[in-house]
Amino acid sequence: MPKWLAQWAPGALVIALGLWGIEEAVNHGLVKRSLLPAPSDVGVVLWQLLADGDVAGPLSETLARLGVGFAIGAMLAIALGLAMGYWPRLYDLLEPLIELLRPIPKAALVPALVLFLGVDNAMKITSIALAVFFPIVINTVQGARGVDPVLINTARTLGVRPFSLLRKLILPASAPFIFAGMRLSIALGLILAVISEMIAGTGGIGFLIIDMQRAFRVRQMYAWIVILAVVGYLLNLLLVLAEHRMLFWYRTTERT
Amino acid sequence: MLRSRTDRDANSSMALLELAHVGKSFGPAGAQTVALDSIDLVLAERGFLAVVGPSGCGKSTLLQIAAGLMPADRGRAMVAGKPITSPPPHVVYVFQQYTKSLFPWRTVLGNTEFALEGRAGIGRGERRDRSLNLLQLVGLQDFAAHYPWQLSGGMQQRVAIARALAADARVLLMDEPFSALDALTRLDLQNLLLELWAARNLTVLFVTHDVDEAVYLADSVAVLTYRPARVDELIEVGLPRPRDPITTREQSRFLELRHHLLSHLMRRRSADERVHA
Repeated sequence: MPKWLAQWAPGALVIALGLWGIEEAVNHGLVKRSLLPAPSDVGVVLWQLLADGDVAGPLSETLARLGVGFAIGAMLAIALGLAMGYWPRLYDLLEPLIELLRPIPKAALVPALVLFLGVDNAMKITSIALAVFFPIVINTVQGARGVDPVLINTARTLGVRPFSLLRKLILPASAPFIFAGMRLSIALGLILAVISEMIAGTGGIGFLIIDMQRAFRVRQMYAWIVILAVVGYLLNLLLVLAEHRMLFWYRTTERT
Repeated sequence: MLRSRTDRDANSSMALLELAHVGKSFGPAGAQTVALDSIDLVLAERGFLAVVGPSGCGKSTLLQIAAGLMPADRGRAMVAGKPITSPPPHVVYVFQQYTKSLFPWRTVLGNTEFALEGRAGIGRGERRDRSLNLLQLVGLQDFAAHYPWQLSGGMQQRVAIARALAADARVLLMDEPFSALDALTRLDLQNLLLELWAARNLTVLFVTHDVDEAVYLADSVAVLTYRPARVDELIEVGLPRPRDPITTREQSRFLELRHHLLSHLMRRRSADERVHA
């Protein structure tokens, strides 16, 4: 058996057993079909969604919002995080505010954002950007403050100006922390994308899930939940791969 | 008896780096530790001054003040007649911790080019050519595409030296640069440094705790006292150049200086231990 198979097989077995257990429970009437359909029924619906291409529209709608919101939130967070890490005074000024705002579940702000921004993309993208912002800013600050003084002093005696120092030294040196923050954020961003679509939606996966539930199309509802699970998994995988590619130098240096 | 003059006499040429009554204290007001008491050192252009002293005596503090990385509390630090307030151009610091002073995400070439980036009038092509030439000068022409963490310690420190030269260094401030290297590699790098110093008219302030290294490399050796640091003694080395890694160390003058400096440091150390016990 190849190594990767030996590594993955036990986990896959647990998932298969779980699905089989639900299947049997539903078939024996232990769970009402109207609450939880058999996984095989959900699988059939899922297959139809994929085969007919009906998955593309809602999926691309949700992903587009997530992408734009994530990009805005991440860029602002990285810029502010680097600045706060580099200038202690800015850190002292903003750190209490950030610590105060950070624990608010960003979903709780969606109704308020609706008041300001309405129910369209502006509100949804802002919600996502807000959710994405905090983990990244906090990680970036931590990374930027932790850059070895020897490295900073080296750059300073080589005559590097503050802005170049941030871009060429503090940014790459903080990248491992920034990536850790982005991986936390992408999951939060997806949550906010779905919630904002549920609260005020005309499209996207979040809207479909609540719409199917209201129409008692339970199998469709579960099919979209499965799609969200796969999307979340793939987004994380994408970030992990990007991290491996960009931070090739990190593991090696940390080991020595 | 130990005083003598060399042809690179400090008084005969202009002082490039000058520390006058430089003092530095650390810690909160009221409970301050005096790291540097009152340091007076003059380094002539093309001079090579070694500073020896016990560990923790403030040698690095001294270099950081000269590098403009840390302000002095008292006295004056000047380079080319100008007070040092921020890192002066052409003055480059070479750290002991080469693994921390190289950029791990840049190649050897990229690390060298770093010193040339953002400089007016130097395009991408010239940056590359100059860097490759310097890498050849330090014997790393075949490793330009490697990353620092793929190289040995000696090679990494060569990259740091090439980068300092790329920054057009006239003054090198070297903080125990070879002390983490094995003995043979250290000899190689000492000779590389002497060659570059002579060929490129460098001025070197070299901090070390290794008396052999100080005598072998320098024109003059300053001995610091332990906390607070003062210049206890300034010795002219007076060994002929070019120096040879084997025969120079066998000369009676070398042995005499080594004897004097070591016994001086050891005497001071036991005196300090009595005071600090």
